[in-house]
Amino acid sequence: MAAQLFFNGLVTGLLIALPALALTIVFGVLKFANFAVGSMLTLGAYAAWVANVQLGLPLFGAAAIAALTVAGAGLLADQLAFERLRARGSITLLVASMGVSLVIENVCRFFFGNASRGFDVALSRPIRWEGIRINQEQITIAITVAVCLVLVDALLRFTPLGRAMRAVADNASLAAVRGVERRTIARLTWVLVGALLGLAGVLAGLDRAIDPLIGWNYQIPIFAAAILGGLGSPLGAVAGALVIGVAEEMSALVIPTNYRQVVSFSVILALLLFRANGLFGAKAARK
Amino acid sequence: MIAYLVTIAILVCVAALVGLALNLQWGQAGLVNFGVVGFVAIGAYAAALLTPQVGWLPAMIAAGALSAALSAGLALLSIRLEENYLAIVTLGFGEVVRLVILNEGWLTNGALGIPDIPRPFASLGESIGGDAVFIVFALGLLAIVFLALEGMARSPFGRALRAIRDDATVTSALGKNVFLLRVKAFAVGGAVMGVAGALHAYYLTYIDPSQFTPIVTAYAFMAVIAGGRGSNVGLLVGAGSIMALLEGTRFLKDVIPVIDGVQLSALRLGLIGAGIVLLLILRPQGLVPEPKRRAADVLPKAGGGR
Repeated sequence: MAAQLFFNGLVTGLLIALPALALTIVFGVLKFANFAVGSMLTLGAYAAWVANVQLGLPLFGAAAIAALTVAGAGLLADQLAFERLRARGSITLLVASMGVSLVIENVCRFFFGNASRGFDVALSRPIRWEGIRINQEQITIAITVAVCLVLVDALLRFTPLGRAMRAVADNASLAAVRGVERRTIARLTWVLVGALLGLAGVLAGLDRAIDPLIGWNYQIPIFAAAILGGLGSPLGAVAGALVIGVAEEMSALVIPTNYRQVVSFSVILALLLFRANGLFGAKAARK
Repeated sequence: MIAYLVTIAILVCVAALVGLALNLQWGQAGLVNFGVVGFVAIGAYAAALLTPQVGWLPAMIAAGALSAALSAGLALLSIRLEENYLAIVTLGFGEVVRLVILNEGWLTNGALGIPDIPRPFASLGESIGGDAVFIVFALGLLAIVFLALEGMARSPFGRALRAIRDDATVTSALGKNVFLLRVKAFAVGGAVMGVAGALHAYYLTYIDPSQFTPIVTAYAFMAVIAGGRGSNVGLLVGAGSIMALLEGTRFLKDVIPVIDGVQLSALRLGLIGAGIVLLLILRPQGLVPEPKRRAADVLPKAGGGR
């Protein structure tokens, strides 16, 4: 039982890792907490659903469409809202991101209603291994996320774009002096983040039913993971996501499952009180 | 038609109370609270559960006090945090409140909600018409809270809060206890949200968890942004115009027949989101900008003048 929960927790953690990474990258490069992560994930799930169920594409192609759709939505939100408010500080930006979140969530609700939907995928028997049940979906999630994480890590570490993003995150003025175009970097950041959130939406849709609140349900775990890792630290976000995933699933052993979400909230609160910079250290969270 | 206008007026009163509270916390003190709905829900449930036992006035006071106490507690824990973190902590608090209400059925009756909440002056209402009495009650309550908060905004406390919002470091260098002032702002705001929740419960006489979604928080932000951050008069204008707009969109259904109920509510909520962003971009100072208060208006005339 405990081993099964631990395994489920790792998969949930991997699922949260992508949006947590997206949140932390936006925070690092653009300096605000994007409260629209959840709704962008929802948009990804619906985009993939349309491609998969209505257009009959295989899930792989649907995932690509989801990634492109959310990347486009991210660019649009940046162009129409975030860029115009950039000079007004992070409080304004995070309130605006809440507004963007409402818009995206309700665009999805407008077109698809409140009904639950699922992808058109063949049901398959779970594999048993050492007494642990492993679903096909869980394997898909784990492999996809692992590949994404390696790619994002390589992108941030080794490519000129990654270097430029880290430079802007570190010191935007200095990066500008060295000829790094902040505006271009911001746009490319949204493309990357949108792709991650789109994929996360597809994986979330494999894990549970797709409805307009699918992303909102992950909102607090995502933030908990990113804060646990230290907002702005990509590696930390992934580690934080695994910890949150395992903690949420394992909590079923001690508290009623209805209160699973409280775990993430308690982690955030405890962490901010006792170790405000996250487990992996980041810029100060306290004033 | 009259009955419909009365309904809107009462809804405006509730929205304005919530907005006034957020305007104190966010507008004047600069503290983001994404858990507004949690405090409103606490007030509503406290009022619903206590009114049959102790009567409406003690119940309403208890609703405000409980909400204020929890607000102060949350602030004690988290108000030192940088705004991004405060935002997520308060959002999480709102969700926790919702979970508790949903799952602690022995107290809150879970998803079924609490029916038959007695209204204040219900016996008076029977003789002259319930809503007529209730709107006087709601407007009276709004007037009292408005005057209290407006007085607070003009008091040294309000000035200190705005000083903190504009520059916390300077304010603390001038000897103000920034931490304590922020906790107080949060507590007072929490109290007003609790009272707003109680009014909501009395008006509907039935509450359930589905009434307390994060949308309530979004309305409050919209009202504050529309009215003008920090301006209480603006807040009333903002809350009024938003409710008018929201109620107006109800009639869209008659104009555009293809839209169903879910789509209509999605449209309204999406408009709120778009409205928040647009107003932040196009009219950040709001409809009624916060009055610029100069030192000369505040200081005693001893200075000798110009």
